[in-house]
Parts: sequence; C-alpha cells; structure tokens
Amino acid sequence: MKPIFKIRRAMLARIHADLSRRHAFAAERVGFISCRVAALPGNELAVLAHDYHPVHDDHYEDDPSVGAMLNAAAFREALQYSYRNRAAMFHVHRHEHHGRPRFSRVDVSEARKFVPDFWKVQRALPHGVLVLSHDQMHGLCWLPASRATTPFERYMIVGFPTTSIAEVQGGQGYQ
Amino acid sequence: MVRDTSRQSFLGISSDQILADARVGIVGLCGGGSHVAQQLAHIGIGKFVLCDPDIVENSNLNRMVGACRQDVEDRRSKVDVIAQRVLAINPAATIRKAAGTWQSSANELRQCLAVFGCVDSFQERAQLETMCRRFLIPYFDIGMDVTKSRGGFTISGQVILSMPGFPCMRCMGFITDEILASEAQRYGAVGGKPQVVWPNGVLASTAVGLFISTILPWQYRVETPLYLEYDGNAFRVFPSNRLKIVAGTECRHFSNKDDLGDPFFGRPEFSTTAKA
Repeated sequence: MKPIFKIRRAMLARIHADLSRRHAFAAERVGFISCRVAALPGNELAVLAHDYHPVHDDHYEDDPSVGAMLNAAAFREALQYSYRNRAAMFHVHRHEHHGRPRFSRVDVSEARKFVPDFWKVQRALPHGVLVLSHDQMHGLCWLPASRATTPFERYMIVGFPTTSIAEVQGGQGYQ
Repeated sequence: MVRDTSRQSFLGISSDQILADARVGIVGLCGGGSHVAQQLAHIGIGKFVLCDPDIVENSNLNRMVGACRQDVEDRRSKVDVIAQRVLAINPAATIRKAAGTWQSSANELRQCLAVFGCVDSFQERAQLETMCRRFLIPYFDIGMDVTKSRGGFTISGQVILSMPGFPCMRCMGFITDEILASEAQRYGAVGGKPQVVWPNGVLASTAVGLFISTILPWQYRVETPLYLEYDGNAFRVFPSNRLKIVAGTECRHFSNKDDLGDPFFGRPEFSTTAKA
C-alpha cells in the first residue's frame, strides 16, 4: 500500500502559524491532524487532512531533554477525537530549517510508542506522524491491515499553488 | 524526437517534470474537452484520464476539434479519437480511457491532480464537484450556452475553478436546488443544445490557463479569479460579479468532515471496503 498525503494549503499555513507560537517552556510546539482516508487505484491510499488540532499549552510537560513532551491528557484528547469522529490521526511537528526534514531517532522511537495506540480506537484506519520544515514535509504512515510503517509516497498541497511532491525528489519545496 | 519546451521555459525550471508527472482528468470530450485535452498535451501533461460515453456523431464535427468525418463513419468513441490526438502530440503521455459514464471510472479520477468538467448538465457538474471536493481535487468547470434573445442570439459561458476550501459552485450561486430541479423536470426533452466551436475554444483556453497558473505560478501573485464569465456577443471574459458575494469566505457546503474521503473506508460492515 502506497500512502499519499493531501492537505489544503490554507490548513498547512494554519499549522505553521500555530507551530510558530512560543510556548512558556517547551522548545517546540506539536499538534494533531485529523484525516479521512480513501483507497486509490494502483494500491494507493489517500490520507486527506481535514482539520488541525493544536495541543493546549497545559498539555506539555516540562522536559528539557526533548523539544516537546506531551502529557497523557494531550493524547487522551487526540484519541477521543479519533474515536468520536472516525478520524485517522497524524501527529505533526516542525524542524526549524528549509529543505527536506527527517525524523530524529527520538521522534521515531516516541512515535512507535504512541501511534499504534490510535488503533485501539480506530483499528481500521492508518495513523502516523509528520514532520515539517519551513518548505517541505516528511511523514510515516502506520497501515492498519499489514501493521507496517511506511513513508508517504507523495505530498499534495491543494490551493494556490497546487503542488505534488514525491518523497524521493527531496530538493523541491512546496512554497 | 525530444520535446523542445524552450518557448515555455518561463513556466519554471522544474515545469517540464511537474507537467509530465501531472495526472489530469477530463470529463466530456466534445466541444470543450477536445480543446482542453489537446492543449494539455501540447503543454506536456504526462497522464490523462479521459471520460466520455459517446461515439463521434456528425453533429459533433462543428466543434469537436480533432474529430473528422471518417471517425463518424467508423463510429469511433470520443475517448479513442481524443486519446489518439493526445498521443500524436505527446507520444510519452499515458492515457486511461473511460468510454462509459465518468461515474463508473470515478476511481481513476480520484488520483488526478485536477479534473476538468466539460459536461452539459448541472446535475453532472454538481456530482463532479462533489467527487472532487471529497478527494481534495481542484475542479475546473467550463460550459457555454446559446439563447434566443430579442433581435438575435446571446452566447454566454463560464469558467469556474472550484478549489477545495474555497467557495464552491453552490456558494457562487451557479448551482442551486432550483436549477437542478428545473433540469430534472426537463430530463429527456432537452434536445440538442446549440454549441459552436469558438466559444468552447475561448473557455477551454481560459480554463487551461487558470490550471497552469495554479500548478506553475509563473506570474506575479495575483488573486486567482474563481469564476469567469464569458460574453460571447461582446467577446469578453471577465470575473463574475458573484465573486463579490463570496470574497474572503470559505465554502459552507463542503466543510464537514463527512464530505471528505471514502465514507466506507475501514468499515467492515460494507463488503467493498478497501484495506490498507
């Protein structure tokens, strides 16, 4: 299964605006993107971003060893949203540079802990994580049937302009 | 022979690749769609989904560019004729042909970067737009009409870009329940609508230009007009006054989470559910 990620440009701008806000003690902000899903020909899976859910200020833990550490309430809220709205959930944060972003080892090890929890509330949907840079993005998708983790094949940003970036291209920004 | 795109290099250094990678759906391949398909092939679009259930008829030859008398005699499908034209222009293009209703090939359209609707009925426009909104696909609608007016005829038309998140055709007042109901009442008794080649050419060219500006922003940032009207008597294309009503607003018809994605995905109670 080859997942692709689609998001409206206006929503992406809203996410960047939220992630740009300073937090009292956390070094970076994070959020969740709720998505709907559709099967496409050629064994593709479209993950369609519907809404962005910022993490409340008081749902961060003061942990200077990482950029942002969320408390249980933050995950509970995201899990509840997924359960009530039949939403695929994608955790999102940003690395402060331009060009192709990559997950850190901590990003991946933490994601391996919390992403499968979303299958407890929506077992038939994919969930995952996204990391943005100031002009690109990269994401991992946990597929429900195979339980495999795979990077998105493409990222499509719909709006003015509308762009499609293949994961392998690397050098091209979306702004 | 390698394509020489030096005359359109202003579209950007990556434009050839972006165009070659783009998959575009065209629904309706007669008056409007035949222009759109061939223009996109000239520009270098690499992947097409062509939808039209009809064969070429004699009455199509006044406006279906690329069709000829032999196609009528051979009872060729419109998708075959246009696919042949596209491949003659750009042999590297890949084409998925849907010679039935577009609804039966909707899965193919889901993958498109953009869809052009060149259909006659408002019902089909409404359905196409709904499908495109569901899968976050920009939808370009073109259409024209000839009506009898005092002292002659009036030619009018429209190009509408229905961009996910932005006002839709209902927001703009182009599609209303009254129009759909009125059309449904006339179903089967409409007959052949008057159509001519040059307004279709104007509208198709405008839509293609709008599309290229959307994926390759070659010009200085200007506000993209979502609804352009065509006055065929004055030979003018201009932003519709209806845009003033919806300026700065978000769509209120397709903003619900249930308007997005496959409603049956991941639901075991439906046997057709796809699995990831």
